[in-house]
Amino acid sequence: MAPAKSATRQMKLALHIHATGHHVAAWHHPRSQIDAGSNPRHYIEMAQLAERGKFDLIFLADSLAIRLGDVKAKGRWPQYLAYFEPLTLLSTLAAATSRIGLVATASTSYTEPYNLARSFGSLDHLSAGRAGWNIVTTGNAASSRNFGRPEHFEHEDRYRRAQEFVEIVCGLWDSYDDDAFVMDRASGLYADLDKMHVLHHEGESFSVEGPLNMRRPPQGRPVLFQAGTSETGKETAARNADVVFMQQQSLERCRSLREDIRGRLPKHGRDPDEILVMPGMAVTVGRTEAEAREQHDFLQSKIHPDVGRAILSAELGYIDLPEMPLDEPFPLDLIPEIDGGVRSTAQALRRVVEAERPTVRELYQRYANGRGSHQIVGDAVQVADELEHWFRSGAGDGFIIQPAVLPGGLEDFVELVVPELQRRGLYREEYEGATLRDHLGLARPESRYARPALQDAN
Amino acid sequence: MQKTLKLGASIRGVGYHVSAWRHPDVDPRAAEKIGHYAELARIAEAGLFDMVFFADALATRAIDSPLGAAARYPGDAILDPLMILPALAMETRHVGLVATSSTTYHEPYHIARRFAALDHISGGRAGWNVVTSFSNREAANFNRAEQLSKPERYARATEFLETAIGLWDSWEEGALVADRQSGLFFDPSKVHAVNHVGPHFQVAGPLTSSRVPQGRPLIVQAGASEEGLDLAGRYADVVYSIPRSIEAAIANRRELQARAVKFGRTGDQILSMPGVQVISGETEAEAREKYRVLLDIVDPLTALGMLNRQFGDVFTPEMLDEPVPAEGPAEGTSYSVARESVKRAREKSWTLRQLCQRVGLGQHFQIVGTHDRAAEVLAEWFTSGACDGFNVLPSHTPGNLADFVEHIVPRLQQRGLFRTAYEGATLRENLGLAPL
Repeated sequence: MAPAKSATRQMKLALHIHATGHHVAAWHHPRSQIDAGSNPRHYIEMAQLAERGKFDLIFLADSLAIRLGDVKAKGRWPQYLAYFEPLTLLSTLAAATSRIGLVATASTSYTEPYNLARSFGSLDHLSAGRAGWNIVTTGNAASSRNFGRPEHFEHEDRYRRAQEFVEIVCGLWDSYDDDAFVMDRASGLYADLDKMHVLHHEGESFSVEGPLNMRRPPQGRPVLFQAGTSETGKETAARNADVVFMQQQSLERCRSLREDIRGRLPKHGRDPDEILVMPGMAVTVGRTEAEAREQHDFLQSKIHPDVGRAILSAELGYIDLPEMPLDEPFPLDLIPEIDGGVRSTAQALRRVVEAERPTVRELYQRYANGRGSHQIVGDAVQVADELEHWFRSGAGDGFIIQPAVLPGGLEDFVELVVPELQRRGLYREEYEGATLRDHLGLARPESRYARPALQDAN
Repeated sequence: MQKTLKLGASIRGVGYHVSAWRHPDVDPRAAEKIGHYAELARIAEAGLFDMVFFADALATRAIDSPLGAAARYPGDAILDPLMILPALAMETRHVGLVATSSTTYHEPYHIARRFAALDHISGGRAGWNVVTSFSNREAANFNRAEQLSKPERYARATEFLETAIGLWDSWEEGALVADRQSGLFFDPSKVHAVNHVGPHFQVAGPLTSSRVPQGRPLIVQAGASEEGLDLAGRYADVVYSIPRSIEAAIANRRELQARAVKFGRTGDQILSMPGVQVISGETEAEAREKYRVLLDIVDPLTALGMLNRQFGDVFTPEMLDEPVPAEGPAEGTSYSVARESVKRAREKSWTLRQLCQRVGLGQHFQIVGTHDRAAEVLAEWFTSGACDGFNVLPSHTPGNLADFVEHIVPRLQQRGLFRTAYEGATLRENLGLAPL
């Protein structure tokens, strides 16, 4: 009996592209693209493949400095070292695809709102409504040293600045009403300037006069993404975000975070359904479970201990970790005390250590693939079962798929898992619309300057 | 082997003519479409152009003086050129991709990354037109009541370039080893911190990009002030300039070469490419007719708005049929190109309306005549040492650019003055610049 597909709520899927793959040792695997960081063809082919797999979007993370940490580990771990600036790359991918959403991280701490509004607004125009901005405040202290600040902004300052930044950017996108550019050749009138709005923003961190020199983006506003599960992060997401990314290892935690975030929307005048929560999923799929397991074990065996320690150091906020016996329990006292405002990744790691007391090797192996995300290793049915279970349990509105090895892991996912999810009626067979907002089921926002609706006569 | 000239195509919306959108052959909505820019890049590449170039602005420009001018100005709905070019990289294989970016309102780390990505994506075809931005409107979008002074802007630009170049050099060739046997992905000894500390920037580095195909993107500069010439002499590979006579062009090129020497470079490391508009036809009459259409479609209000933006609020519609004032406001502008226009109007005793028509069409060197004559003039400029090539500013697109490619390029090739195939793989190679 065919499932009643149209009646079933379907999951959204994002592809998180990490050059050679999400596993720190991915580049050792023959199915990784070893020159990924400077090979645009690799990204184009993946974007096109993800589009054939009907993914909602591809997502490119970013950092504004090369990865910190131990030099010995650096040479063995290529992530966040030499790769494409994501906005530039997305524009290339826009030209090579026609449906899939294009999302990049950009920092509110080290860019100017006017520049950022232009870049993402342009991407939305170039892609005909497929742009998304992952708002980050940048947690990497090394970035500050590339932007003239000896120290990074404090956590709360970062978020305060981020809130002001986002409001400016959204305001700039509304500079012209959708129908402002009349282009009437006969009268010579190019724009109706009654439909132009000057922002006049004067705030704590920025003063931006406006207007933006750009037509309103096709989506009205590119889709806003946010990650981070700190208290401030959740609150900022509830105010601004259309989609929340998270990297969490437990279903229960994802479910409660999703409920928590949804519950915060009404106080910002939003409906809980106006936000989608998408946990990361580090997926390794094979034709058989054994095949998947073999790939996974191969990658785990290739993690050099220096790299393993560097992973854990990064999760804990780039603290120095001593050399440790690999097969003894990870010392709990190495984890910094948690007080308000500490990175959520460190909190998540503490929870794992407290609950399970893993050895050093077990712990870094667990973070080696997709960092804090839940890992699934199995055949197509097992992977689909797990995704379905999480989805039906309310742990997410969809998932960010983080293949261990790229492009191999994406090829496997599209070939094996996507048809299985479609068979179950859990995932689209065709794109529903043209824009990223259409795919995600999000409404096109009205301009902040739109006339208020007429009062109901009653 | 005979030296050949270089060609660039400047792309702005649907043309450099301020009312190009009203031209009967133009689709006014094309300015918003990537397909339009892709078509222009392909036309330029079919014509073996060295590069396409996009200007930029970080604020709206229109001023509503006289009243109604702002609503008639088409230049305030534009896209970020650094987002257009990576898309064009997919549509082309040879043509260079040059974008304007401001050193006043960006950070070196971002700019270095974006041009590095563009250079990797395009296989070595990226170029950066370095500008310092000169409007208070732009300042007001970036936390400033008014813009920095010119010396401050250029001091910042110099330090910006020094820093960006340091970042592009932070990864040595061959730093990526990707040796699965040894487990070494890259050789940390070939990656260098920048540790730049200066009055405007403190940048630790290294860059998040391996060394780019061109070593570093092409550096382009315009701006003819003393400060601008020094910046060009120090860093520029190519200079866009605005001389309107062969004599001025020769002097300008000599000056630039001397500036390069002043900063320890050789004169042949800096290429002068004056802007040119070519309105040509099979016959003189056809060319004149094309020219007449272009003058006719200029909206005088729009053109007055441009002049008032350049000179301050001095021109009114009531003055349109009077001669251009013999003295007064015209000297009070930092736009050297605008000063030239007014000077010329006075010499030719134009009315303000006639000046508006010319200014609306474009303020660069213009050639109106037969295809043969146009090619002859370009050849004359080049062979007399007035330039290393031209930056073509199409009045309206695609029509005027397609005309150049169809009619002028073959005539330059017949004279042996222009390539018949791309010589190299990168923009620098095509321009004949020595490897870094």
